[in-house]
Amino acid sequence: MRMARVLIIDDDVELCRLLAERLSTEDFSIEAIHNGQRGLERVLSHDYALVILDLMLPGMKGLDVLRHLRERSTVPVLILTARGEDVDRILGLEIGADDYLPKPFNPRELIARIHAILRRTNYTKNATVPLVVDDIRLDSTAREAWINKTQLDLTGVEFSLLETLLHHAGHVVTREHLTEVVLGRKLGPFDRVIDVHISNVRRKLTHAADAGERIKAVRGSGYLLVVRSEVT
Amino acid sequence: MRLHKHSLFLKIFLWFWATVIVIGIALVVTFLLQPGRMSSRWHDSLANAARYSGAVAVEEAELHGTPAASFYMKQMGGSTHMHACLFDEAGNAIAGEGCELFARNISLVRSKQNVSIFTRDGIARVAMPIQSSGGRKYIYAAEIPTGTPTISRTAIAVRVCVVLLVSFCICYLLARYLTVPILRLREASQLLAAGDLSTRASADMERRNDELGFLVRDFNAMAGRIEELISRQRQLIYDISHELRSPLARLNVALDLARERKGNNSAFDHMEQDIERMSEMIGRMLTVAKLDTSSAPVQMTRIDLSELVSQVVRSAEFELRERDNAVRLTIRGLCFVRGNAELLQSAVENVIRNAARYTTSDASVDIHVERLEREDGSFILLSVRDYGVGVPESELSNIFRPFYRVANDRDRQSGGAGLGLAIADRVARVHGGTVRAQNAAPQGLRVDIFIPAAGKE
Repeated sequence: MRMARVLIIDDDVELCRLLAERLSTEDFSIEAIHNGQRGLERVLSHDYALVILDLMLPGMKGLDVLRHLRERSTVPVLILTARGEDVDRILGLEIGADDYLPKPFNPRELIARIHAILRRTNYTKNATVPLVVDDIRLDSTAREAWINKTQLDLTGVEFSLLETLLHHAGHVVTREHLTEVVLGRKLGPFDRVIDVHISNVRRKLTHAADAGERIKAVRGSGYLLVVRSEVT
Repeated sequence: MRLHKHSLFLKIFLWFWATVIVIGIALVVTFLLQPGRMSSRWHDSLANAARYSGAVAVEEAELHGTPAASFYMKQMGGSTHMHACLFDEAGNAIAGEGCELFARNISLVRSKQNVSIFTRDGIARVAMPIQSSGGRKYIYAAEIPTGTPTISRTAIAVRVCVVLLVSFCICYLLARYLTVPILRLREASQLLAAGDLSTRASADMERRNDELGFLVRDFNAMAGRIEELISRQRQLIYDISHELRSPLARLNVALDLARERKGNNSAFDHMEQDIERMSEMIGRMLTVAKLDTSSAPVQMTRIDLSELVSQVVRSAEFELRERDNAVRLTIRGLCFVRGNAELLQSAVENVIRNAARYTTSDASVDIHVERLEREDGSFILLSVRDYGVGVPESELSNIFRPFYRVANDRDRQSGGAGLGLAIADRVARVHGGTVRAQNAAPQGLRVDIFIPAAGKE
């Protein structure tokens, strides 16, 4: 298997060096950039499997890097946030990051998350059956989603999330299950990443076709994709 | 303005007013209400007028008899409003009408052999001994209108009222002028003491050029200095915690590398445990420091606190199940608040974790959420009770201070850093609520968090 290329954008030079050393034992090839602006240029000009992005950056702030990146690329992004900056974390997920890790983090956790994100990307690439529920259509091969003839602009995580909900259309999917399938990890205490992703997907669905509430929150258990044909 | 019995305002006001009133009374007493203290020149002219008419009356009596004297005096009374009587040396009336009036004057004249004058209500009564050309002695008495205006009782009452009112107003304004800045200063210092470090006494008081103005300026300078010092200290704590994260992150990776190369070792496990503890502590310290320093408003949304607590309880149960004690949650009523979900969650989590840590191994943690209507508004009460040993009464108010540890128990082995309740306290305050701790009977600690309830959507 080809080594997955991972770009890390973080101004902590020493940390990048240690991480590169650590991740190389996991068959990742790591490149590090210590400046936001240059990091963005690098991601857009090269092909990376994943980007690790620190939100506290000199030059261009991490959130701005992410915003510009999302305008042109759907490469999976894992953000590193400093604790106590919860607003930035939520914002990061809303802008389109796939997952986040608070600093200081356990490297094994980081590796597990990278694996999870990459596995999902590879797994869905192999699926071929197109999924259709009502007016929502998902082409897993091309990783394209359509609602009512309008194409949805989804990130990797959002696509997987919608895919999972479509698979179980009309049934409640627990937050635990969604986190495991979509983010590839266990739902932690006070973990609201999946909820932010859900609200992103919801927003995009309503934006593309104002068709009422498609994803319903079921209090205390999870989410469910409403099937119109059953309701009417 | 609320006044109490010993307020400076009342003291200054009453003293000044009393002084003004006493001075007024003294003036009145001295100049107006003392009879017989008229100027001597006026007395002389009165006496002269009486002496002249008296001489004529005596003349008339000696030459033409007492009826003639009576007639003269009556005539004179018609033209000059002077009412007179003529008495003999012994004080018996011999001419004139209504002579009983002069009894007091007569007796005085007889005892002193001198002119006596009484003035009252604008009338002067003059009596004097008079010797006729034939050598006989008489006493002549006359009642003369003095011409000074008659002052009625209502007029006096009106004047007194005006004097009182004017002096009241002046004294009130004076007392206010002196005490209002003091009251304002007191309000400002109370706010400062309550933790609002941006409080300053108002600028218009600062412009005063008297001693109070100086005091206000000094107070503001002092408040500024305190604010600067405390914010610098808080910023320092924040910066330190923030900066500690980078080496800690590197340490984490380095430790993992070491594990990779040298294999598993119990020493590594210890290191990892401590690193984890440190990073948790730093995270909490940052939360506390952030809540202390940030002047930026926290983003608030409408939140169902009972839902939030249920979620926290579900996660907590997960941890507690390993330890045999359960969480009992009761919710009563609709519990919506306006708040920041992240902060509230961390507050609730910290309080519940704290309770779970100290409750005895087979006891439960009781959590109760309900809506309360109090005098000062609707509140959502979150009450968390453990069945541990509790906290000594004297230390109850201290447990919300960062890093505070109760001496007897609450050992470091239990894992906490003494920041959980400090976070809960600050989060409650950010939401306009309060936190209170009290010992429960028969044992255990109860922490109550009050958050103002949100109105109807």
